[in-house]
Amino acid sequence: MSFSATLRDVTLKYRDTDALADVNLDLEAGKIYGLLGRNGAGKTSLLSLLAAFRKPTGGEVLVGGEPVWENAGIVSRVALIREGGDFDDSDSVKSTIETGQIRPAFDTAYALKLADRFELPLKKKVRELSRGKRSILAAICGLAARAELTMFDEVHLGMDAPTRDAFYKELLAEYMDRPHTVILSTHLIDEVANYLEEVVIVDKGRILRHEEVEVFQNMGATLTGPAAAVDAIAAGLEVLAEQQLGGTKSATVAALEPGTRERAAAAGLEIGPVGLQDLFIHLTEPNRNGA
Amino acid sequence: MSSLANLSLPNRRFALGLGLAGEGLKYFRYWIAAAVVLAFLGPLALSLSTEIELSTWFYTANVGKWFTAFVAGGFLYALVPNMIAAGLTRRELSAAMGVFGLLWSIAIGVLVFAGLLVERVFYDAMGWTQGIQLNDTITTLGSWGETAAFAAVYPLMYLAYFAAGAAIGAAAYRWEGSGWLLLVPVLPVVFSLDNALYDTEPFGPGWMGFLGRFMDDWGRAAVLAAIVAVALVLAVAARRILIDIPLRSKKA
Amino acid sequence: MFDDGTPIYRQIADQIKAEIMNGSLEPGGKVMSTNQYAAFYQINPATAQKAFRELVDEGVLYKQRGVGMFVADDARERLAADFRERFFERVLAPLVQEARQAGIPLTAIIDYLQNQEGARK
Repeated sequence: MSFSATLRDVTLKYRDTDALADVNLDLEAGKIYGLLGRNGAGKTSLLSLLAAFRKPTGGEVLVGGEPVWENAGIVSRVALIREGGDFDDSDSVKSTIETGQIRPAFDTAYALKLADRFELPLKKKVRELSRGKRSILAAICGLAARAELTMFDEVHLGMDAPTRDAFYKELLAEYMDRPHTVILSTHLIDEVANYLEEVVIVDKGRILRHEEVEVFQNMGATLTGPAAAVDAIAAGLEVLAEQQLGGTKSATVAALEPGTRERAAAAGLEIGPVGLQDLFIHLTEPNRNGA
Repeated sequence: MSSLANLSLPNRRFALGLGLAGEGLKYFRYWIAAAVVLAFLGPLALSLSTEIELSTWFYTANVGKWFTAFVAGGFLYALVPNMIAAGLTRRELSAAMGVFGLLWSIAIGVLVFAGLLVERVFYDAMGWTQGIQLNDTITTLGSWGETAAFAAVYPLMYLAYFAAGAAIGAAAYRWEGSGWLLLVPVLPVVFSLDNALYDTEPFGPGWMGFLGRFMDDWGRAAVLAAIVAVALVLAVAARRILIDIPLRSKKA
Repeated sequence: MFDDGTPIYRQIADQIKAEIMNGSLEPGGKVMSTNQYAAFYQINPATAQKAFRELVDEGVLYKQRGVGMFVADDARERLAADFRERFFERVLAPLVQEARQAGIPLTAIIDYLQNQEGARK
């Protein structure tokens, strides 16, 4: 039974600043979501509310259809893994893993199997681990929680590329084995794009976009060719970025209208894709007008 | 914690409390053993040069109060982020701390109770007197009954110190940089009651026991009742601080 | 593994079609499950599902409840017909345009094609 997640008119203030302002969000159960946003955009605040790490200043946070705050039946099946994990540094790796057993669904055997696979030294103290190993420990605790809503917040930090790859692979395998809701918050967007079903972009404490990943992949395009031709085709479209080199111009547009692709081709323009990462950079550009 | 394996949701707070008490005692087992050994060997060593007329266990028992407050505060400070991140509610954590505090206070209290009684046997056998130092004079625990009555209040004192430590630990996590200042109102009250009960100088600066001077005329029952009341107030305060505590953000 | 331009589900659908055309998937044969595809390509299973749904809509695959996905008996003919239909638009239209830009007269192209045909005989 995967958990859905809902925010209704949610505001979160830290002293006087709004970390989140009137946020409404509906995440259906059983999907893998990507949560994107610049530093300080409100990603971590959003996740902290879903995991009941914090109480909202205003509004409602529902997980699995129920208020999540102080709800043992829900929070025991919600896992938020923060960068570096929330561990007692003086504990051994093994007893840190065993602390997870406070969750009735925790799978100790699976955690130990993963610890073995990722070569985690069970007897070492958490404080003696390298940053990468510490991140792995955090990731393992998240996977073995067997939660109905599992959230990883920048958990890949410190992991090298092969380890990140192995982690995503395991995450996908666990997801297919046991459908549940997953939220991945990361800056390495292109690395996880293929694992996602939907993407939520947070910007300045608000939800900027929430779409299926294909919508983003179809959304943007880069038009390159003679400046006049590019200008003619791009006129009326939302232009995210422009570059010019001599007489050749390249314009990145947020969305193509029906027929634009054909007209651009007929005008001899080259049409290139815009990766999710680039699109994200353009969409959250601080100087962008009309966002 | 092995006590956590195969638990069910409704009873996990009690299992956690039990586990914490076990972990705490296990973690400090060598310290506790060393304190017990020293409490018996100390007077034996001193007896070579001087007449023994003071109870060593009295001091051991008093150090136990500090130790208890430190364990409660230190554990809770570390447990708040770990346990909430592990999917525990704040209510469950405060219930677990309650179980932990009760078990810990009983365990250390029983140890001290037994220590004082065994010390009585030991001193009687050696021909020493078991005395408690009041401000400047020494009161001798004349009978077994006096020793037992003196020792019996320790579990309660530990409970009060545990509650004080927990409240301060929770405050220190909640208000980074300033929460520990809860020490300022809490310490004098606890010390004064401690002082009033034994009418002895507590450990720490003497001024902190100032309230005790007003309690000189209180009956023992009244002081005990006040200690129970203060322990309850501190436990409620700790729970109140804990109940909507936000987890701190990670340092970037 | 995937190029950036087209959505991944389209690329998977195209690949399954190509496998049917080149015979590595037989008509009536069973196709791997969405989860197998997802694990193989390391993609979200919903993405693989989308590819399958599209192929079912096009009549290339059919679903047997509880058993899995199978290649339609007439899948190859359908795809071949479809391919022929789109051949001129997909292959020749860009060719003509490029030739024009390069100043190659259409007659030169026709001559070239005829020579190719002659060389094969």
